[in-house]
Amino acid sequence: MAGISPARKHAMAERWLALAVQTYPVPSRRFLVDQRDPFRNPAGQALRKRIPELVEELFGEMDAGKVGAALEDLMRLRAVQRFSAREAVGFLFGLKTILREESAADWETLARWEERVDELALAAFDLFMRFREQIYQIQADEARRRVAQLERMYSREG
Amino acid sequence: MPETATRPEELVRISYDPPPGDWRGSPVEFRKGTFCHAAGAKSVRYLELPNPRDWQPTDQDWKLPPNWKEIILAGMKERLERFRSFRLFMDICVRCGACADKCHFYLGSADPKNMPVLRAELIRSVYRRYFTTAGKVFRSLAGARDLTEDVLKEWFYYFYQCTECRRCSVFCPFGIDTAEITMMVRELLNLVGVNTNWVLEPAANCYRTGNHLGIQPHGFKDSIDFAVDDLEDLTGVRVEAPINRKGAEILFVVPSADYFATPHYYTLLGYLALFHEIGLDYTFSAYASEGGNFGLFSSHEMMKRLNAKIYAEAKRLGVKWVLGGECGHMWRVIHQYMDTLNGPADFLEEPVSPVTGTRFENARSTKMVHICEFTADLIHAHKLKLDSRRNDHWTVTYHDSCNPARAMGLLEEPRYILRRVANRFHEMPENTIREQTFCCGSGAGLGSDENIEMRLRGGLPRANAVKYVRDKYGVNLLTCICAIDKATLPTALAYWAPGVEVGGVHELVGNALVMKGEKERTTDLRGQPLGQGAEAIHA
Ligand code: SF4
Ligand code: SF4
Repeated sequence: MAGISPARKHAMAERWLALAVQTYPVPSRRFLVDQRDPFRNPAGQALRKRIPELVEELFGEMDAGKVGAALEDLMRLRAVQRFSAREAVGFLFGLKTILREESAADWETLARWEERVDELALAAFDLFMRFREQIYQIQADEARRRVAQLERMYSREG
Repeated sequence: MPETATRPEELVRISYDPPPGDWRGSPVEFRKGTFCHAAGAKSVRYLELPNPRDWQPTDQDWKLPPNWKEIILAGMKERLERFRSFRLFMDICVRCGACADKCHFYLGSADPKNMPVLRAELIRSVYRRYFTTAGKVFRSLAGARDLTEDVLKEWFYYFYQCTECRRCSVFCPFGIDTAEITMMVRELLNLVGVNTNWVLEPAANCYRTGNHLGIQPHGFKDSIDFAVDDLEDLTGVRVEAPINRKGAEILFVVPSADYFATPHYYTLLGYLALFHEIGLDYTFSAYASEGGNFGLFSSHEMMKRLNAKIYAEAKRLGVKWVLGGECGHMWRVIHQYMDTLNGPADFLEEPVSPVTGTRFENARSTKMVHICEFTADLIHAHKLKLDSRRNDHWTVTYHDSCNPARAMGLLEEPRYILRRVANRFHEMPENTIREQTFCCGSGAGLGSDENIEMRLRGGLPRANAVKYVRDKYGVNLLTCICAIDKATLPTALAYWAPGVEVGGVHELVGNALVMKGEKERTTDLRGQPLGQGAEAIHA
């Protein structure tokens, strides 16, 4: 797996980022990519920070902690952005095309990388579902807090 | 899934001009989690608003009155004549785009219609069509479009995705305030019975009993008494909390969540401890038992009606002036509208702190002082004994709630207090605080359960900055001075920045305040053991 230069990885990450950004409406794409201040553009910068990390892991150790953290950030975002599970995760598969076009790797190496892409996508799918469920949980928690003191009072009286 | 990859540099340039041609192509889709439920007929009837009926935004037929279009256009005409600002905001935008990327909903959703400039364009295009010569003649060529039911639905969708936070206006070279435009559109929608339950039900309750939950006077008294008992358990000091006491010097008004919700309640305990300690001659009112004013989110008339009870109660109880608690939009109403709506309150006196003698000249006309101004003044005059170590289990940051920050300029007082009651305080990045603060994403009546997904989008920019200070300094408490913040930021943080709690400024004041005759404090006002380091709680 050696031989992927940092410049190549960077090029792949940039193309992958562009793919991810294409899942957003046209007038917003440029902003998501160009505005580098993470506080002015939290969504775009999450993509910009996390995608190269995933590329790094894909060609490296596939460290579970690092992959998990990166995917978590991406899926936490996409779970509230109007995407279906398929749309939220779909852009990850685009990496396969990029790998084929951007690397001169042999068939066997490519197959191994593509397996890793599948792994990423499955993990992302799980995370997406987890965040969707969490949304309902935090919603219920909020409803409880809203009258928590009244309930305490009534239960003491009762 | 898109198959062709575009390099970033190939991405299209943004145009802030309205999309060419007819906009009717894509009617909005009401997807679960991204809109508020419609107001039930009961609340609409109670408030004597038009067209009470049961309906939902997902219905094909919104059961509008047959002449809805005439009603809206007549309403627009009337408001264009009545509010100079409205006409100005319709006319003067040059579509420079300075506001475009400043809205938290845009940043969280990337939906172009959440750019303030395009949000406003949703009504501007209709304004052009019916109220300008070019629009009447050239129609879509002049960026004008017909008012149709789809347009109305789009208004409902996008003007209830604006929290009226006014962040965008800070960046507009012309001072165009999209929040004011949102208020106008919501008023217009109300004329044909298009409104949300989350706004109208609390408004109806407030009109009837004086607060959002519809708690009656005896319930209010029970709640306050309950807090007095709790405070005694925690501090060993029995305080008095008078209600409807005629002849008191000061009327104290809080948002109702302070006495029934968590974490608001700990702030209420903080106020009670503070007032006892300085021997304040004050009273609550069981009718002015709500600082919040959901009229601000529906119409000027409703805002006036709900606001009136504060002065009415001040008059009835014969107080000299009014003190207000940690509430967000209450302060916007007071600062920007109260005087013209229900003032001048000539029967009240210019507020003077009975403890320090400080004259609150800034409140000369409304006669209402913010609790943070009041407390900062007490601390400044060394009138309080504070042990800030009692907040050592918190590493604190401060969220400028939109209304106190942008609508009344209350920026320094809360920070002054926090730095004296807590030892560990860290600011979030400069472009996310003070005038540039990011909204919680749930204000202006959007904080409903069913709107959760939209709220999480809107809460991202705020929570993102919180996450930064959490990771950098170990911040584990976000303080704020708004009841909606306290209700909804814990939710946003649980999602985006887990491990950070939300609390009030006066909760920390209450923790630090050394009271005469108190027992040895072993817990904070939440009943959490003291001395437990931030790390321990964090773990
Ligand atoms: S900043 Fe002001 S003038 Fe510029 S597009 Fe926004 S509203 Fe229009
Ligand atoms: S939510 Fe705030 S920033 Fe966004 S359009 Fe409304 S007032 Fe402007």
